Amino acid sequence: MRWIHAARARARLLFRREAEERMNHEIAFHIEMEAERLVREEGLAPQEARRRAVIAFGLAERHKDAMRDGRGLAWLGRLGTLGLDFKLGGRMLVKYPGLTVVGGLAMAFGIWFGAVTFHMFGLVTSTKLPLPDGDRIVKIQNWDSKLAQDEDRVLYDYQLWRSARSITDVGAYRDASPNLVGTDGHALPAMAAEITASAFRIVPERPRLGRVLDASDERAGAAPVVLLGHDVWTRRFDRDPQIVGRTVQLGNRSATVVGVMPEGYGFPIAHELWLPLRTNVAGVEPRRGLPITVFGRLAGGMTFESAQAELTAFGKRLAAEHPATHAHLQPRVIPYTQADGDSGDMPQVKALVYFFVVVLVVVVCSTVALLLFARAAARQTELLIRSALGASRRRIVTQLFAEALVLAGVAAVVGLAAAQLALTRLGKPYIEFNYGRLPFWYDFNLSPTTIGYALALAAIGAVVAGVMPARKITRGLGTQLRAGSAGGGGASFGGVWTAVIVTQVALTVMIPAAAMLVRSESQRIASYDFGFPAQEYLGVTLGLDGPPDEMPTPETGARLGTLVEALRGRLEAEPGVAGVTFVDQLPGTYHVARHLEVVSLPGHPSSWVRTARVPTSYFDVLKAPMIAGRPFTSADLSPDAHVVIVDQGFVDRVMGGRNPIGHRVRMSAEQTPDSTAAQGPWYEIVGLVKGLGMSHVDARRRPAGVYLPFVPGDQGALGIIVQGQGDPLSLAPRVRALATAVDPALRVEQMTRLDQVAAPQLWFLNLWMRIIIGLTAVALLLSLSGIYAVLSYIVARRTREIGVRVALGASARRVIASIFRRPLTQVTLGVIGGSILIVVAAIAVQHTQEFAAVKPSGLTFGDVALLSGYSILMLGVCMLACVVPTLRALRVQPTEALRAE
Amino acid sequence: MTIRPQSDALRGSLDLLVLKTLSLQPMHGWGIGQRVQQISDGVLEVNQGSLYPALQRLEKEGLVTSDWGTTDNNRRARYYELTAAGRRALGAELESWRRFAAGLEAVLRTT
Repeated sequence: MRWIHAARARARLLFRREAEERMNHEIAFHIEMEAERLVREEGLAPQEARRRAVIAFGLAERHKDAMRDGRGLAWLGRLGTLGLDFKLGGRMLVKYPGLTVVGGLAMAFGIWFGAVTFHMFGLVTSTKLPLPDGDRIVKIQNWDSKLAQDEDRVLYDYQLWRSARSITDVGAYRDASPNLVGTDGHALPAMAAEITASAFRIVPERPRLGRVLDASDERAGAAPVVLLGHDVWTRRFDRDPQIVGRTVQLGNRSATVVGVMPEGYGFPIAHELWLPLRTNVAGVEPRRGLPITVFGRLAGGMTFESAQAELTAFGKRLAAEHPATHAHLQPRVIPYTQADGDSGDMPQVKALVYFFVVVLVVVVCSTVALLLFARAAARQTELLIRSALGASRRRIVTQLFAEALVLAGVAAVVGLAAAQLALTRLGKPYIEFNYGRLPFWYDFNLSPTTIGYALALAAIGAVVAGVMPARKITRGLGTQLRAGSAGGGGASFGGVWTAVIVTQVALTVMIPAAAMLVRSESQRIASYDFGFPAQEYLGVTLGLDGPPDEMPTPETGARLGTLVEALRGRLEAEPGVAGVTFVDQLPGTYHVARHLEVVSLPGHPSSWVRTARVPTSYFDVLKAPMIAGRPFTSADLSPDAHVVIVDQGFVDRVMGGRNPIGHRVRMSAEQTPDSTAAQGPWYEIVGLVKGLGMSHVDARRRPAGVYLPFVPGDQGALGIIVQGQGDPLSLAPRVRALATAVDPALRVEQMTRLDQVAAPQLWFLNLWMRIIIGLTAVALLLSLSGIYAVLSYIVARRTREIGVRVALGASARRVIASIFRRPLTQVTLGVIGGSILIVVAAIAVQHTQEFAAVKPSGLTFGDVALLSGYSILMLGVCMLACVVPTLRALRVQPTEALRAE
Repeated sequence: MTIRPQSDALRGSLDLLVLKTLSLQPMHGWGIGQRVQQISDGVLEVNQGSLYPALQRLEKEGLVTSDWGTTDNNRRARYYELTAAGRRALGAELESWRRFAAGLEAVLRTT
């Protein structure tokens, strides 16, 4: 605490005027009080009392001097001349507030961007668990070199891997998400891991209550047990201290709670519930059985290489024993945090990103360099005097560098504070959006490495912003000294600065084009046409309890169908519910694609179509009457009915506008690249309905949609659509309660109002939008201040010339023209350059395969008009930066200019 | 006898006096001087002007803080207050002063 008081007191003393005022006030107050006391106690006349009080105070000026000496950054002086330089740097910050704000903000932005990028990238690509010996925890995978993917049915291999001598505590887990029934009676899916007890030796942590899982729990016939995570214990069981030993319901199973883990424990990834995994299954065949992930810890003295060598030997042995399944399998030992799949080029990508950030900081700091250069140029007389008094060039460069370093230091503090805010407020949801869940080792607090990186960026920035202009400005000092003149000659703005300004203006023109692209994307998504009043409907995805990676079987599908039907019946009886229907895929989400052929048309036109399976009530509940033909009847639900209903998109894209009713089509079973429609059964089109959200919300084109009658059986999940009489979201708690009541294994996976299906995408696009707008603002600010600095400098340096011109009768117009020529050229060049880059980028994007999915529809006429308008605006705004210096130039009086000599 | 602390000579004791005075209650500069004089029955007279550089130094060391306040007769004055660190420093200073005084006393007694 003491240093806080001290720092505050010192900071206050930095402001000279305030400190002087305070000192004078205190002394005056003291003398007044003393004089009053003398009048009161010794009966002196006021005038005499005051005289005596002044004498008693002593030499006021001497005390003031003592205070002035003690004030400011004198303490820094003890650090030697460098301290003096920093002191001057600090004073410069206060003396040139405009430069401090603009330059500091720009640098802070660069550092902020760098720190956030570095930290986020570090999280995603880190190969070390932040635990003791975290870099020795590994994953073992079976890599299929033929399919170029990871084979996770490794239960057979696992038995052998456990005997490895180079890796200890070999264990395995698989994801599960059972429906956990909490104290409130609701069943909600929990992120569970079926895991071997060795996990709790790999990442050891004392449980908060009870015990962790142990080997006895894995034995066949052992009583079912569960270990709870802190979060689940808190949220679902109200931190019940008596939970250990109690039985909880997990879908249709029940298990006894053996313990509660402490807060933050999420091994293997982001799990909140642990169940024993039985791996010693008798008679497991190679490449069969449950998919599992295998982990372990490098044994003492072993390296990745030695472990890999041992596993490779195992792999060869298995390949020899089971050539049919293992010929192409190769075990790999990889760092635990490395993402699945081959990510061998990650280090290069990482280096590239970090390099890009450095480039960004250099570009930003070159403008700051421009500003500092203009400031240094204005101080040329001071520098000349220093030089004359014996300061070496190196000494002056050091001083200017120290000034830049102080600015960069302040910027680093601001940038890091903003980075911390951004990481917790935006970084976390960003990762959640992209990866679905947050691994437990992700820490969004600035790490020492990130802070180090940011400080390094600040140092680089200070070198660019300080040393470059300093070297330039000190180059001609000797010559100028000999010439005995401080004005004119010497420092001038070279090609580098022009390039910097032109680049910035180009960026300022270019970045908004990207913003426009993002905005049109989010507008397009936000204006997605569902074809029905989506805000009146609640969309609920329902699934059956079980491991998420298990394929649905006809039995589970049929059971799900029965349960959903039961739920539908109960929901319909609820007050406030206007209608209930279901569908295999909710509107606005991905639908199954099939290849379709119209057999009844000449040439058998074919196309990809999106399909949905719906019950007879579907179109009624969505208030979408048939445009032509008839809706499904209960007779159509029979497996031999073979009828479909198509939507308007189908008529437009497949039928070429013809009436589809009565035509016959054939469809492939599912979406595979080589699927043909030829083998599929025949269907007759019986109805036509308008488009009802058969594509994902971010799809660009309305698809051709085909509705099949709903046959329960082959779905792993089902969507139920509930129409509310008021806000459908108010029905959500009832839907959950009824689902649990129908069957605890019936899982509510997702529940949203249908018009909000796109909310996460919109959030994501909005975030990018905000980042881009921030970038634009910084680029604009920088180019404006750059132009302003250059112009002010030029005007200042040409004062005499302008004076002479005016004295000789030059008109204001000619003076303005001569000043404006340079910035006008620069801005024009920048605008042209930026526009060319936009066009090039637009062409590149349209010809790049990677962007095929997000192919922008090209810049429309409106966009081009908007961009041109913006360019003109840019030109105008840049010219604004010229107004003040120009006015200053015009005010130059010939006499004054000549006296300057 | 009157001890007039001549700036640096008795700077340590001036700090001690200021800290001790402020440990009673927050006070402005003039008040501190008056209080020292009152309590010591006029024996210790603080050089009025040298009080302010000392206060500024103590504030920079984080031992006291200051803020504007108003006096009883409604005048604006700078009030100084002891920080926790100042309180600790006072204890240490007192201790060392007592040791010094005891040592001095011992020397004076034997010679």
